[in-house]
Amino acid sequence: MPKTLHLPPADPILVARALTKRFPGVLALDHVDVEFQEREIHAILGQNGAGKTTLMNILFGLVQPDEGALFLRGQQVEFRSPHDALAHGIGMVHQTRRLVSAHTVLENIVLGHPRVRGFLNLQSVAPEVEELCNKYGFTVDLAARVWQLPEGERQWVEILKALYRGAQVLILDEPTSALTPPEVKTLLAGLQALVRDQGVTILLVTHKLPIVLAASHRVTVLRSGKVVARVRTGEATEEMLVRHMIGRDIVARTGKRSSEAGPPLLQVDHLSVVNDKGQPALQDVSFSLREGEILGVAGVTGNGQDELAQVLAGLRDAVSGTVRFKDRDVTRLSPLARWRMGMGYVPAERVEVASIAAFSLVENTALNYHFDPAFARRGLLDDAGLEQLTRNIISGYEVKTPTARTRAQHLSGGNLQKLILGRVLSRKPRLLIAHLPTQGLDVEAAAFVRAALLDAKADGAAILLISEDLDEILSLADWVAPIYEGRFGGVLPRAEADIETIGAMMAGLSAKEVRAQ
Amino acid sequence: MWELLARSLEASTIFLFAALGELINQRAGVLNVGLEGLMLFGGTAAFITAQATGSYPLGFLAGLAIGGLLGLAHGFFSITLRGDQVVSGMGLWILSFGLTTYLGNPHTGPLGLARITSFFGLSPFFVLGVVLVGIAWFLLFRTTQGLAIRSVGENPAAAEASGISVTAVRYVCVLCGGVLAGLSGAAYTLSYNPVWNYNFLMGWGFVSLALVFFSMWNPWILLAGASLFGIMWQLSLSPELVLPGVLSRYVWRMVPFAITIPILTVISTPWFRRRWGLARPEALGRPYEKS
Amino acid sequence: MRLGRYDVTLEPRTTRPAFYSALTAVGAILLALALASVLFLSAQTPLLDAYRAIFSYAFFNPNGLLATIHRSIYLLLCTYAFLVPLRAGLWNIGLPGQVYAGGIAVFAIPFVFRTQESQTLSLPPVFLILLMVASAAAAGAVVGGFAGVLRARFQVNEILVTMMLNSILFWLVAYMIKEGGPFMSPRGEGESFALPPPLHAPLLWGVPFTAVLALGAAVFLDILFAKTPLGYRIRAFGQNPAAARYGGIIPLALSLFVFLLGGGFAGLAGYHYFAALPGVYKISGNYGYFGDLSFYGIISALIARGSSLGAVPIAVLFAGLSLGARFAQGQLRLPFGVDYALLGLLMMTFVASHVLYQFRVAWRRVPSPTLRPAPTQLPPG
Repeated sequence: MPKTLHLPPADPILVARALTKRFPGVLALDHVDVEFQEREIHAILGQNGAGKTTLMNILFGLVQPDEGALFLRGQQVEFRSPHDALAHGIGMVHQTRRLVSAHTVLENIVLGHPRVRGFLNLQSVAPEVEELCNKYGFTVDLAARVWQLPEGERQWVEILKALYRGAQVLILDEPTSALTPPEVKTLLAGLQALVRDQGVTILLVTHKLPIVLAASHRVTVLRSGKVVARVRTGEATEEMLVRHMIGRDIVARTGKRSSEAGPPLLQVDHLSVVNDKGQPALQDVSFSLREGEILGVAGVTGNGQDELAQVLAGLRDAVSGTVRFKDRDVTRLSPLARWRMGMGYVPAERVEVASIAAFSLVENTALNYHFDPAFARRGLLDDAGLEQLTRNIISGYEVKTPTARTRAQHLSGGNLQKLILGRVLSRKPRLLIAHLPTQGLDVEAAAFVRAALLDAKADGAAILLISEDLDEILSLADWVAPIYEGRFGGVLPRAEADIETIGAMMAGLSAKEVRAQ
Repeated sequence: MWELLARSLEASTIFLFAALGELINQRAGVLNVGLEGLMLFGGTAAFITAQATGSYPLGFLAGLAIGGLLGLAHGFFSITLRGDQVVSGMGLWILSFGLTTYLGNPHTGPLGLARITSFFGLSPFFVLGVVLVGIAWFLLFRTTQGLAIRSVGENPAAAEASGISVTAVRYVCVLCGGVLAGLSGAAYTLSYNPVWNYNFLMGWGFVSLALVFFSMWNPWILLAGASLFGIMWQLSLSPELVLPGVLSRYVWRMVPFAITIPILTVISTPWFRRRWGLARPEALGRPYEKS
Repeated sequence: MRLGRYDVTLEPRTTRPAFYSALTAVGAILLALALASVLFLSAQTPLLDAYRAIFSYAFFNPNGLLATIHRSIYLLLCTYAFLVPLRAGLWNIGLPGQVYAGGIAVFAIPFVFRTQESQTLSLPPVFLILLMVASAAAAGAVVGGFAGVLRARFQVNEILVTMMLNSILFWLVAYMIKEGGPFMSPRGEGESFALPPPLHAPLLWGVPFTAVLALGAAVFLDILFAKTPLGYRIRAFGQNPAAARYGGIIPLALSLFVFLLGGGFAGLAGYHYFAALPGVYKISGNYGYFGDLSFYGIISALIARGSSLGAVPIAVLFAGLSLGARFAQGQLRLPFGVDYALLGLLMMTFVASHVLYQFRVAWRRVPSPTLRPAPTQLPPG
């Protein structure tokens, strides 16, 4: 598409000059110059941590720059808050939903709108909003509560909200991260229609190359807070963009190639689990895993993955079904007993669950060792032993940190994740549950983590890999199980798993239905 | 019998004002566990002022002002400094408990002014309470400002991204909460029981806090709960009206507090919690960080 | 906030040198004393006289010093009663109630064994004393544990439950010792019966043996938190309950344990004040004052930032201050409640010092806005 698109010459609608922003300990943006033209889809590409989100937050008024200026249609502007940005016609749809899930779609759309003041007469506003929806071709039930909607529709609600406010420039921060492949197609088509028919300018912030190449007219690449490239998408290749994103070619890491799978280790039968709201999260899930195998659970977050990881780790009760580990029924076993039995769990939330920010790295190691008799002598914790172990993990996993006694909160995301993974793997678990292990990591750290997983597999561990990244799953897993609304669409061997099939199953079709197409 | 009821309703307004204020600031996501402290300080300030000037309006004004001031202090610590809201609340309680004991001591004893008139024995404050409940309900559920408040309490990031200033909304709500707490204390010392004694509230503030949880953050349910508690409290003070001679009066005094515990437990069971949990402002007690 | 050409903000501190704890603690105490000066001034008392009266009585007068020691033991035990749940992130403000429960349990023993009047005892006094100590601790533990269970099992707010229990137990004591209650003194003066001499707590150099208990607790808790797996689990749970659960820690067991231990300390504090103080040995009519005094335990634990050894000098200091203030109040004719006011001021300064501990004031020069013409050409990317 981009290669044949002919862009009419247009004036830049939004310009930023020399934007600089410092946070304690890090220079997030370093004299960044960017320019966006009207009626284009402009992609901002960069790794996690490159400064994309900070840049967008400045454009939307959530954050004020330390230096630099913004120009809208040639006039200098200053946005002290989103209120100002919205008043000037700039809208933003964030990576994480900014909707009040307990309220209705209509209430969310009109929230904060300057024209709707005082007496909240939702009835009078509803027809207007409905007309807007039809104009843009979206069908959404205005009276539905947001928590009842699937992720793709929630995103449309946020887009509608920005459009209802009169946004001429729409900033989308990682809009495809929580969508199934069919939903991604719908989104991109909708965005193109918006630009073509309604004259909206779209800023697309992402780290995903395929999206950039498929949907944008021009690309600006950020790396470590600086602009390193500005290209027309039609003239760009994947290799060129990758090189700009990380500054050099990636060091290819290959884990040890493993031998054949061993005896069965984990057997899950007809497992059903409810979530915190009491709704079914996992329904009748069955699978088995052998030593030295990786099962990749592919799906968009919110389809039961959290509950799957938690029930296997012992942090959530099952409503029905059984889990057998090493030929023992562990369905009711406590988390501590599971650690002792040889299960390991790397949670998705590394700061909220997998580590303790205010504790030192050594004390964080103790999180998986406080019950281990090898580290407790005569009732006292073996502090020296824990420190030695921590040092081993730090060197073995290339964790960048001043000392082993530094607090965990001072580690970057990638280093923290490596530390956590090293800590869990140091216990040599027979079963490893890895939930979104590379989420939010830069390319190098992600590659390191994946290699470490392959090493563990070569050592004979069985790994349950829960991920949203299809490429990651397809490159690591022996078996692929797409998950949708708490059910496995099937458990396919790698050879039979291709993107279209998996993508369709992630969207709810069963294996049979996909084959029938 | 009518007197008992009227007196009960008067007692219930004390709970009602404080709890209503707390309901408003909890709807915006700010938790103030030091409610009792604000009530104590407001009541003491009102008592001293009224006694010194002989004027009820000035007394009430002083109570409202002190309550509002302490509410703003809590707001500063919780909103601007993003501190732990429980620490701030506890701090305000102990601060008020200590200082009011000292400041109020010279004034121990009766107020010495003519009682505030009542309509057929029914305190005017009860009427005021009902009106305030109606206003609060209308504000929260029928105006855009109320939608903004509730959104700030559910998902401050969403509100901020909609152009609403979370800081401003929370400050206003915490001020309202403080003013109403001050009103509650003033109503106690100037109308319900115009005799100053140290720690005159004896735990009522915490009962009001519990009432907010019971009410599922709905002003009308709060009114019902406060009335029930008022009746129960008044009965515990004069059990001989209902069950003469049974048990020491000290045991009766325990009853309202003892009843609160099982009620709190029931609303925390998973079954109830699911329905209640949906009503709870999701961001309650969590400091908001702009990002 | 903008001040002229500078932008002033509060930024969280990233590093906190160890001595900062002590520094902010000392700062808080000094500030509170400075604010207390305002109270003295408003009562038209010469400041120097006031402070001299307070400190000389508390620490340099033989009677005053002894009283300070006695109160220090009480406050230290109350501090630990609050400190243990605090390290687990839980608020035990049920100290008064647990102290009262301890007191009731203490007097239940002679009541049950019918030794309150007779001079001859059916059982050896040592045995009875041990039983009294144990039952006081157990009673406090049960009351605390009740709140702990409700919190862990049903997530009921422990602040509300403990406050309710405070009121309930307050009235329970009133029932027991007043108007014909079971523990009422034969003279019927609204206080409990006095303990017979054989049941008085043994003294070591004039100080009840509870001093040993309190100091032993200090050492025990310090080792517990710093070096044992259990102490680690408590601290981890206090910092991040979700991570603790992930690491295999059981919230129910842990919450229950810290409230049992904390409540137990408070119960012991009750034993100390109602059964171990020379010259007292009864639940007096103004027992509520001692319940209120237990709130000093909250302040000590907060200012000591959870350090059990650090709490010792702080508890001693507060004991002396509150006693001296009471004394000065009488001698200098200050209004009643100076010790209460001091409590309130300390809380206020603690919160202020806590802010300084967590944040630092950052000055940044605001760059002058450079007005550039509307841009035409982008620098090559």
